[in-house]
Amino acid sequence: MVEFLTSQLGVSIILALVVIGVMLGSVAYCIFFERKIAGWVQDRFGPNRVGYRGILQSIADGGKLLLKEDVIPGHVDTPLFILAPAIIFLVAFVGFAAIPWGGQLQLGENLVDIQVAKPDIGLLYILGVASIGVYGVVLGGWSSNNKYSFYGGIRAAAQMLSYEIPLGLCILVVVLTMGTLRLESITLQQTEYWGGILPMWNVILHPLAFLVFLITALAESNRMPFDLPEAEQELVGGYHTEYSGLKFGMFLLAEYAHMITASGFIAVLFLGGWHFPWIAWTQPEATAWYAVIAKMLVLAGKITFFIFLMMWLRWTLPRLRFDQLLRLAWKGLIPITLGLFTLAVILVYVGRQQSLPWALLGNAVVLAIVLAAAGLSQVEVTGRQANLPSIRPGPVSTGTART
Amino acid sequence: MTPTTAHLLYLIFALGGVGIYLLLPKAGRSQALAGAVIGVISVAGLLTVLAARVILPDATTVYFYLFATIAVLAAARVITHPKPVYCALYFVLVVIAVAALLVLQRAEFLAVALVMIYAGAILVTYLFVIMLAYQGGSPVYDRRSREPLLAVLAGFVLMAAVAGRAEDLPQPASPPTVAVPTADAQDAASQLHDSNTGAIGAAVMTKYVVALEIAGVLLLVAMVGAIAMSRKKVPVERFAAPVRPIGQVGREVEPY
Repeated sequence: MVEFLTSQLGVSIILALVVIGVMLGSVAYCIFFERKIAGWVQDRFGPNRVGYRGILQSIADGGKLLLKEDVIPGHVDTPLFILAPAIIFLVAFVGFAAIPWGGQLQLGENLVDIQVAKPDIGLLYILGVASIGVYGVVLGGWSSNNKYSFYGGIRAAAQMLSYEIPLGLCILVVVLTMGTLRLESITLQQTEYWGGILPMWNVILHPLAFLVFLITALAESNRMPFDLPEAEQELVGGYHTEYSGLKFGMFLLAEYAHMITASGFIAVLFLGGWHFPWIAWTQPEATAWYAVIAKMLVLAGKITFFIFLMMWLRWTLPRLRFDQLLRLAWKGLIPITLGLFTLAVILVYVGRQQSLPWALLGNAVVLAIVLAAAGLSQVEVTGRQANLPSIRPGPVSTGTART
Repeated sequence: MTPTTAHLLYLIFALGGVGIYLLLPKAGRSQALAGAVIGVISVAGLLTVLAARVILPDATTVYFYLFATIAVLAAARVITHPKPVYCALYFVLVVIAVAALLVLQRAEFLAVALVMIYAGAILVTYLFVIMLAYQGGSPVYDRRSREPLLAVLAGFVLMAAVAGRAEDLPQPASPPTVAVPTADAQDAASQLHDSNTGAIGAAVMTKYVVALEIAGVLLLVAMVGAIAMSRKKVPVERFAAPVRPIGQVGREVEPY
């Protein structure tokens, strides 16, 4: 028994159970933090009635969702109506399997990986699972048999297909730099240093790709300012208008689980995963249990930072219009990422150890080209054609009271 | 004469063809129940023949049979389900089951690429189009198969052509002599398993580089064609330059 528990398989099974449990808990608390951050942004308290400073709010919300009547309206396509939240929920949680949580752990004489599964195609696995996720949204919208829901589903399909391309190109930039699809060795390669000081994190080498990846990850998880599929002012909640009770709760939980997956993915690809520079406990050589816990805390901290960033953006930025959203993907992000991809190909020839100045120079060149193109183009940022009258607001006049 | 595997397979495929024919949506009274029973019998027969005569079952082939059954049944539903949206979804199920079969063959890269490209992109587009086209239920000509008999016959011929090459395994009178892989072969196998993607990349970029380049050109042509087809026709006058005398260009009027 002890032999099994200290083997890789045993550790993987235990880790899978722990990760699912922790994720369900933290997803519930994400909702609480979202509301707290909304309160902070809008200069109010946020939930503060249930428990100490509202800390039990999530449990109350969960109980409410559980106890509510789960209505299946008469006009829906029942099998798909039930299938849609199941797909989206499953997909949101399966992606965690390939994320390296904490390097390696010395258990007796075994050296086990703190990772549920380490397939050769770890990166593609997460992408493939995420690409199935669009079915949940699209089917939810269609099976509801409701025009607004259907618009939500259609928007989701167009948006997720469009943003998958720059997302994939950003990932290709990382893959070209690292030469592998394994998430654990991507992390491992980022623990090296330039000149013994500066960690080889991809964010330093590819800052623009990191930014584009952040934007596309936001769009892929349907977060503000890209939450067109559920735009409540236009679509009454979009694809989940007809859902109630726990099915609605599953859509909600899946959104936050997506955020955690996306944040973990960003942290692993661009910020060195569990690595924190200059601290011995988070180096790959440290395999004791306390080092593993330290690494997990570092990764959790990075994930928390990105979740906070996403929530902050949600309550700060207004929503894009749909044509602006698609134009951003097709005319903005895809050309930029193609440029960055070319840059990454050149950097492969230079070699990673020597490529820092070249990478920064190349990023500066790409940025300059983007800014020049944006400045010289005649099309307004709002997407209005040049031959139409401008809709820019005129000068604001103040001080003249109506008499 | 004892029946060979090929004969048995012909029989099973004929049975399956009858089942599919009955299942295909047609006008008049539905014969779907009879078709489903016959189809399930033929799938069960196929599995029995495969297990007994062609692929010897061991611990991992259980998964092969599981995913293969899912793939075959879902594929039957793709062509027999009356609602187009469900057909597309069963197609997704087929793709995922086949991806699982590829994982069993240790072709992980192919499996994920299949899921990403087919299920994640192409079939979403299908679904997109189907949903846009059938807002108020599908029309009658899309709920009936057009030439069910001919289609089933053509399918039978194709399957029979494959079945003709099926060979019996030598029945194991004595324990089957499996060649024990040498240490080198085991090393090579595990290396292939570890760097599956690398091996595919190397093959594509060296041995099949011409095919890769041709595929790239083909995709470019397709993209240009799609753009050409999707462009709206704009009347020429809108883009015509204002008329101006030749002599004035460069003096009063700005040159082009």
